[in-house]
Amino acid sequence: MTVQSLIQALLNGFILGLIYVAIAIGLTIIFGMLRLVNFAHGAFYAIGAYVGLVVAQKAGFGAGLIAGPIVVAIVAILLDRFLLRFFYDKEPTAQILLTFGLAVIAEETLRLIFGGTTQQYPLPDWLQGSVALAGLQYPAYRLYMAIAIVAIVICVWLFISRTNYGLIVRAGVRDRTMVQLLGGNVRAASTMIFAIGAGLAGLVGVAASPIYSIDPQTGFKFLIPSFVVVVIGGLGSFWGAVAGGLIVGELSALTTLIYPGAADVIIYVAMAAVLLVRPQGLFGESEVIKG
Amino acid sequence: MIDATPTRAMRGGGDLAFYLWTALGLAIFPFLFRLPIFNGYNGLATQILIVGIAAIGFNLLLGYAGQLSYGHAAFFGLGAYAAGLSVLRFFPGAHSFGLAVIFGVFIATVAAFIIGSLVVRLYGIYFALLTVAFAQMVFFVVFQWRDLTKGDDGLQSIATPAINLGFAKFDLTQTLPSLALGPFGDLSEVRLWYIFAAIVMFGVLAFVRTLVRSQFGEVLDAIRENEERSIFVGFDPRRYKLAAFVISGALCGLAGALRALYDGSAAIATLTVDQSGAFVIYTVVGGVGTIFGPLVGTGVIMWLENIVSAKTGAWRLIEGVIFVLVIVFLPNGLIGTILKRKFNLFATLRGKK
Repeated sequence: MTVQSLIQALLNGFILGLIYVAIAIGLTIIFGMLRLVNFAHGAFYAIGAYVGLVVAQKAGFGAGLIAGPIVVAIVAILLDRFLLRFFYDKEPTAQILLTFGLAVIAEETLRLIFGGTTQQYPLPDWLQGSVALAGLQYPAYRLYMAIAIVAIVICVWLFISRTNYGLIVRAGVRDRTMVQLLGGNVRAASTMIFAIGAGLAGLVGVAASPIYSIDPQTGFKFLIPSFVVVVIGGLGSFWGAVAGGLIVGELSALTTLIYPGAADVIIYVAMAAVLLVRPQGLFGESEVIKG
Repeated sequence: MIDATPTRAMRGGGDLAFYLWTALGLAIFPFLFRLPIFNGYNGLATQILIVGIAAIGFNLLLGYAGQLSYGHAAFFGLGAYAAGLSVLRFFPGAHSFGLAVIFGVFIATVAAFIIGSLVVRLYGIYFALLTVAFAQMVFFVVFQWRDLTKGDDGLQSIATPAINLGFAKFDLTQTLPSLALGPFGDLSEVRLWYIFAAIVMFGVLAFVRTLVRSQFGEVLDAIRENEERSIFVGFDPRRYKLAAFVISGALCGLAGALRALYDGSAAIATLTVDQSGAFVIYTVVGGVGTIFGPLVGTGVIMWLENIVSAKTGAWRLIEGVIFVLVIVFLPNGLIGTILKRKFNLFATLRGKK
């Protein structure tokens, strides 16, 4: 193992981690605000990726980056308004069942439309090429994407922590009823958070696909590690999702480097260890364990 | 044990009626597929009974203990691989059907005990997510252990040993003697495999029914309804939930072992999240917390799959739609809706902790 391969692995882990972060932030703010455990979150990623692919082939990659998240956000708003709201007062496990069913429907619809084969994403010339970095050539696109994701994460955090809407969201997480009594529109804020979280997954779906390629099962492939991320970080915790995502990304990349056979298993071992030692996750509050 | 309380009485009729109807249903079942409206094939009946065992096991945990596991494929798959390896690698000389099944159930039970001991400390979503994590661990370990498990290819050409009872040997691939049955086809279309699966299913149904009506079942009810109260009354909920988890895993292992011996192969697909999800779908569609629900759900879904997937590639989509429609409109499942039970999916999952 050379220093360069180590740096390469750390960089790969960082990129993968950032993708998990962006997906997991959506999962975690949706859970925090709506108390909804969204098994369909991977489907949002996949829908975004495919919409982005279609648009990118017609109008360029930039247009795909815009269309993907918008379409996914619209799908999310419709889902929220017409189906999920009937399940807000149901048990989390009932919501898991429902969103799992929706995820299956989404995955299979994508398979019917686009076929089951893996699709490669076209990357425009201006995003290609590589950058000399710490003694190795690293694909430039990955670095652009990393910067973009960091910027987006900061925007989402500023939105939640600095705006009036964000105030309703944060208060709604603590005590929904009280916020409603005080005149805050929790319903609208919930729908908005759901759309933002979903749109974020859709955006990452477009942004990450030139690196990881897509097939109808991509959604599930990213969903399960993202659950690992939020569980490690603490379900409902924003910075937990950030920390968890980077931990899981680096853990996968370093294990791939050192002992590839264990690369797939290691994150589940980590998740089980965290759940058993600190069930609320690294950044979670203990009250959420029961329920 | 005598039925004494209303809760037990609610769970079906008398013992004799239960055994008679079950035996009758199992006897008629394979011939139904000969009718044009059902349009199945004979092996399907056997497969439904085998997979149904796993769904019944899964439901013991979801429907009675109130815990949603998304990882029961681990026990199903381990049962399948262990039974297959018992024939191919570990005890090839013995070439024993019974040994393969026992070994499959044993491995699944041990795994269920280890995983169960860890997961019963958690509730609700955390329980569900931790079971997913452990199932993924099992999946990847089996997948990577190529020397033993052949990775992607799975175990192939597992020759089904004959069942040796000492006084007689039964080769399950043989058929019954010929006897014309009119629209229901011919008796010789039924292989001994079906008879064997039906006997096992009868045993499993009787066992689970007895179990949930016993004091053990009552305590599970109490824990599901209100775990804190069950502690005050003097029960240790974790021990009961662990027992339910282990029995549930063992039944999945039994189903997996039989599936491998029936198919003559053990595929990596038996260990996937999709497979875990299938048990969830079968059980919810049939009726959570009912004795026959999981079997009915397994039958309906596998039968529909057989018909629909012959015509279109959209089967999984239709399955997903059926599943969502059942959750939204028939939360009691097919059986629960027919029996007009008050016992519904959400109430089962709710259980105050």
